[in-house]
Amino acid sequence: MENTLDGYAHSNGLKNANVSFKVLFAILTMVVCLLSTSPVVPLTITILISLILIFKARIPLKFYLKFLSIPFIFGFLTFVFMAIFFGTGETWFNIGLFNLAVYKDGFNLGLLVFARVLGGFSCLAFLALTTPMTELFSVLESLRIPKIVLEIAMLMYRFIFVFLGEAENMYRSQNTRLGYGSLKNTYHSLGMLMSNLFIRTWLTGEQVYISMESRCYNGSIRTLKPQKNITPRNILMLISFESIMIIGVYLTSNLKFI
Amino acid sequence: MNVIETKDITYHYPDGTEALEKVNFKAEKGKIVALLGPNGAGKSTLFLQFNGILRPTTGSIAVDGDLISYEKKNLMKIREKVGIVFQNPDDQLFAPTVLEDVAFGPMNLGLAEEQVEERVNEALKRVGMDGFEKKPPHHLSGGQKKRVAIAGILAMRPQIMVLDEPTSGLDPRGASQILKILYQLNQEGMTIIISTHDVDLVPLYADNVYIISEGKIIKEGSPQEVFGDVKTVRGANLRLPRIAHLMEILEKKDKMPFEKPYPLTIGEARKKILKEFEE
Repeated sequence: MENTLDGYAHSNGLKNANVSFKVLFAILTMVVCLLSTSPVVPLTITILISLILIFKARIPLKFYLKFLSIPFIFGFLTFVFMAIFFGTGETWFNIGLFNLAVYKDGFNLGLLVFARVLGGFSCLAFLALTTPMTELFSVLESLRIPKIVLEIAMLMYRFIFVFLGEAENMYRSQNTRLGYGSLKNTYHSLGMLMSNLFIRTWLTGEQVYISMESRCYNGSIRTLKPQKNITPRNILMLISFESIMIIGVYLTSNLKFI
Repeated sequence: MNVIETKDITYHYPDGTEALEKVNFKAEKGKIVALLGPNGAGKSTLFLQFNGILRPTTGSIAVDGDLISYEKKNLMKIREKVGIVFQNPDDQLFAPTVLEDVAFGPMNLGLAEEQVEERVNEALKRVGMDGFEKKPPHHLSGGQKKRVAIAGILAMRPQIMVLDEPTSGLDPRGASQILKILYQLNQEGMTIIISTHDVDLVPLYADNVYIISEGKIIKEGSPQEVFGDVKTVRGANLRLPRIAHLMEILEKKDKMPFEKPYPLTIGEARKKILKEFEE
């Protein structure tokens, strides 16, 4: 349980920083990434956020790299395809295979998309790795997200872990009895696990409803949510960081690599 | 005065199986009552009658002297008075954090946020879980979850607390922590009803014991009276407390002079043995 996203979200160096601050930081920085017309600022943001996550939030480097590898591969493939297929103007050089060539404008566009993917994803990673889901709910509530959506999200969040635990137990007990010995067995066991889990979900839902009713549930979930106000210092930090980035966006707006 | 009293309640499940048959159960104010019975005897079904979640097919239940009427307003009052802690804490803890879960009950009572906060803090302190407010339940151990589940009921300040197998699945230390909390609450005047199969612990805390088997109450009385009826206890798939069993063997097989009623706890046994040696 400790080496999961949820585990880090609950125990990282930045877990006590203000939630609204973290959410605003992630969203604004992502917007800056998208506004930028050159890859410089998004790549700078990626590097800065990675440094914050590794040194300030103390997320292990290995875990972070693994986490980042999926969008990296995705972004890189996009980059390659764009460089080859999206160009219309001047070619830069020929690959010498199937008459394919790298176009200058395609290359620039691909690099920009790649940088934006990484920059945007690192903003999301910042949010996911430093802010527990549970605290996001209170921010979402103050953003006037409909209550019913939040209640369902809250229950889903909680029960994902209950059913994950049950699925793990069932999987182990099936495995103990050689349920995954052959391909045929694997299909059979997995099918049983899933149908069993579905029934379990149903029964647990009923039990939870009974236990909620016992605590005077009347159709809407009301709970206490800790609310911390954003401090002037946080606002100042936010404004200065985003301003510098926007100036960077402006200065590099006409910069082309090739 | 009896805070909970059922009169001849019978309950049929929708599919027709009879879960309870003419059950008469009484809990006196300020006492700890234990409901002993094997699995599937109807303990949980009986408990769900106490706060009006299930409605008996025939018979009636009085809480605090008033018959339960099954309209919403009255049910809310009953559920404020009678708190139920369920056997599996994962069925009870639904909120993403400990704080939100414990606050759920008092919020439903319509209290102001400051009052709720005060009650939540107090309840968590009672069960020794203060400092865990922001944790999600899946980062807690089994015993901790159980204590949070109890805090969730405590925060509603019920007069009667009903616990379904509060010690099942816990290690000995976790179990004795829970019992200690319950004992303290009882000292402060709360009536406590516990279902269990842990016969060794029952004589330590219970004032009154009921044995339920196949939906019927087959024995009731003080622990001495109930465990004195060895045949009925064994007939219900239960056993004597280990200490009593030892005394029985010493009397029957080794002809030692320990006759009935057998001592049920270590303390009682110690007194009896010391007395025997002195003579």
